[in-house]
Amino acid sequence: MKYTTFNQINNNPLTEPMFFGNPVNVARYDQQKHQIFEKLIEKQISFFWRPEEVDVSKDRVDFQKLSESEKHIFISNLKYQTLLDSIQGRSPNIAFLPIISIPELETWVETWSFFETIHSRSYTHILRNLFGDPSSIFNDIVENQEIKKRASDISKYYDDLIFATQLWQTLGEGSHTINGVTHIISMRELKKKLYLCMNSVNALEAIRFYVSFACTFAFAERELMEGNSKIIRLIARDENLHLTSTQHIINLWAKGKDDPEMAEIAEECKEEATQIFLNAVQQEKEWAAYLFQQGSMIGLNKEILCQYVEFIANHRMSAIGLGQPFDIKSNPLPWMNNYLNSDNVQVAPQESEISSYLVGQIDSEVNADDFGDFDL
Amino acid sequence: MSNNKDSLQVNIKQHKTVLHQPQRTLLESIEVHQIDVHFHCREGYCGACRTKLLSGKVEYPNFPLAYIDDDEILPCCCYPTTDIEIELA
Ligand code: FES
Ligand SMILES: [Fe+2]
Ligand SMILES: [Fe+2]
Repeated sequence: MKYTTFNQINNNPLTEPMFFGNPVNVARYDQQKHQIFEKLIEKQISFFWRPEEVDVSKDRVDFQKLSESEKHIFISNLKYQTLLDSIQGRSPNIAFLPIISIPELETWVETWSFFETIHSRSYTHILRNLFGDPSSIFNDIVENQEIKKRASDISKYYDDLIFATQLWQTLGEGSHTINGVTHIISMRELKKKLYLCMNSVNALEAIRFYVSFACTFAFAERELMEGNSKIIRLIARDENLHLTSTQHIINLWAKGKDDPEMAEIAEECKEEATQIFLNAVQQEKEWAAYLFQQGSMIGLNKEILCQYVEFIANHRMSAIGLGQPFDIKSNPLPWMNNYLNSDNVQVAPQESEISSYLVGQIDSEVNADDFGDFDL
Repeated sequence: MSNNKDSLQVNIKQHKTVLHQPQRTLLESIEVHQIDVHFHCREGYCGACRTKLLSGKVEYPNFPLAYIDDDEILPCCCYPTTDIEIELA
């Protein structure tokens, strides 16, 4: 079906599926088929931030104090995150917008992608402060084998969906031979590609970021690179919303609350979806090995980081009905929670009064009356 | 205000039964007893605290954004309105 930027059919958006129905016409938010996306837009906009507002100048001094192996860990993670946000800043727009059929989801995807571009801009802010000219760091992202390996695994699901959508939009369903290669385009196949792509996006935002988050926050636990940590906390807060949105999409499908055919596909592709997550976990473990190949850093090593990836993966996979494939039951890096707590985003967790530490004291809270006639 | 209720029981499967603390979220009430519940955002949008509700009822003063199944709750932003039984992840 040819894409149109303003569908002239007077359709009812409340009866459209999230994807592959009529293209969206009126951008209206007074009514929603799936209210959650409107709520996510509101929340995401309330999180708006600008990288330039975070002072990273002290990080330059800290960076000089890091050992060579710690510098490798720090810079490699920034490269990896730059890759992830480069992909996320464009791909949801290009892959999903042409096939979305409800306005609240369309605007959510645009809002979501916009925040990814803030993330990308923040890496330039961090790197420019450390190096003046960060070109060699950026250039290495398209040279470094460890990063490229991950890039192709992430982008292939997007690219597959985008290419099939383009064929469908220009040639329709059927068998199409292009440059000697035959492509079978059917709605069922398109929906399968969409389903797998959404799982891959969820794995990206819900698991792939967490190895580098852990390293950043381990530096911050030692009061090092705190400007960077503040930025990464803002990014992690956004990523939490993003992973929530793709969990909702996947579960709306699986529970038959949107397009009934997607419920069948969810069942049919369960194995493949599980494999996407297991591959992401495996790659993150290999990434941890690469990070620590020249030596580890205080507070973190490869083993504990791998356990943390498994712990996070159990949580994320069970949220979308894929079970808990790993044995680990308790959080190997409990201090991570303090950096992911939204109360602590604006302050350093080690400086703030962390509510989870404080609740033990609520019984000894002081009442205004207890001061009696004490004058302030 | 219903989240002001006193002496509601929170029965945590395989742990113990604790009392819900008035004006506290369910998560805070449980943490008082040094029982670990997983959390990240503590604001209802990440889903890290997702917990099974086996019986009883809870309420949310603000619409929680995180995905939860029909039999699950988000302790970080809910308040029990009856005695409840839960199973931690
Ligand atoms: S801790 Fe994020 S939803 Fe409860
Ligand atoms: Fe991002
Ligand atoms: Fe994201």
